[in-house]
Amino acid sequence: MKTYHLAPWARARQERFGLLFYDTRSTTMTFVRSGDRLVAPPFDDRAVPLRVVTRSPAEELRVIRVLDGLEAKGLVVAAEPE
Amino acid sequence: MPQNLSSERLGAPVNVTWEITDHCNLGCRHCLSADLRRESGGELDRERCETLIDELAALQVFQINFGGGEPFLRPDFMDILRYAQTKGIVTCVSTNGTMLTPELVDELVGMELLFLQVSLDGAQAATNDAIRGEGTFERILEGVSLLSRRSFPDLSLNMVVTSVNFEEIGEFHRLADSFGARTRLSRFRPSGDGSRMWEQYRLSRDQLAWLSGFLGENPGILTGDSFFSLTNADRQTQGLRTCGAARMTCAVGPDGSVFPCAFLCDPAFLAGNVVEESLGAIFENALIMRTLRDLEVEPCQTCDRFSLCNGGCPAVAYFVTDSLGLPDPECLRVAIPGPGIPGPGIPAPGTPVAEHLSAPERAEVA
Ligand code: SF4
Ligand code: SF4
Repeated sequence: MKTYHLAPWARARQERFGLLFYDTRSTTMTFVRSGDRLVAPPFDDRAVPLRVVTRSPAEELRVIRVLDGLEAKGLVVAAEPE
Repeated sequence: MPQNLSSERLGAPVNVTWEITDHCNLGCRHCLSADLRRESGGELDRERCETLIDELAALQVFQINFGGGEPFLRPDFMDILRYAQTKGIVTCVSTNGTMLTPELVDELVGMELLFLQVSLDGAQAATNDAIRGEGTFERILEGVSLLSRRSFPDLSLNMVVTSVNFEEIGEFHRLADSFGARTRLSRFRPSGDGSRMWEQYRLSRDQLAWLSGFLGENPGILTGDSFFSLTNADRQTQGLRTCGAARMTCAVGPDGSVFPCAFLCDPAFLAGNVVEESLGAIFENALIMRTLRDLEVEPCQTCDRFSLCNGGCPAVAYFVTDSLGLPDPECLRVAIPGPGIPGPGIPAPGTPVAEHLSAPERAEVA
């Protein structure tokens, strides 16, 4: 699976429903209902990739779809596995 | 795909409005923070400001909206601004533009994570000066020109829309554009000195209706979600559709006092002070914060527009009707009544509520 990092201009924080993203270029927010399946990097260390915690292949597929959507919005950047 | 979950309860504010100084060199007739500044018990010193910024960073607050007074009057303001930016927090500064010098603009141009909003209340000198003071139009535009000449990237010109400058909205938009700035239209609310000017400055129903259409046709105009109570279908996917007070935002006064929002800085809404308690604890636990989070605007529940505005701005409702839990008296259904709407519970703007409600619905009042 690819790894996903926050884009340099993006911020994300953990909320009860999942992740709350913020785009510093436009000051807009994106709410993602991901529960505990996506874990944001620490606020002061955005170099850490987002952690994906899934319990089944179907769940993993759903999370990947969400991440692809976030990539299209420019909030995360994907890297192919080494 | 990501969904819009903006009604979810958050663990901390997303942005904090911080009136960082009680000093101002102008005396605008509708100043929203006039009472707050008059009643302020001084200003937090720089060290205390940095402690608060550390706390906001720990809470993962994304954005600080600095205002005042005039922030650039504070000698250590640039240091405070820089400090917030080093924490990765986006900073938005609302300024009256009169303190901008070539040297200051040089510094601002070099900053990342900075948005500047310059207040100007008309496209004509006479209109603006009648509100912000004699000669201010020229002084403000001198500052704006400095920013424009240096191509400051994230600049907006902000006009508080009143009956006085309403006719100039289009011209104002072109003026902002000529400086490479975005147009920002803000709602006039009866807070601070605005409450004294309410009858004179508030918009008529026709003006509210026109503005709703204009904003729908001009999605590029910024409003800071000021006008969500007027949101029409064209704009419904943009921004928030509900009040963010105590949910997404809160306000800090010059002396560290905390309120649910910059327009709810009446003593009745005082939630605490960051000198005595952490902002996180105040946001989470203060009674007034919880009251606002749980606020339900009962008379609105059956309205066809409820999902678009959730009852509108409680600050306007509170200052006009003296009560929380009543509909925004300037919502679109008051401006353009729909079929069967507004119900008997929806008062006309400025009308004493008691005359319109046989059994007044009063939710938790602060
Ligand atoms: S009655 Fe007015 S304030 Fe209430 S939901 Fe409808 S449009 Fe909004
Ligand atoms: S009280 Fe009014 S101004 Fe304040 S956040 Fe709510 S809607 Fe906005």
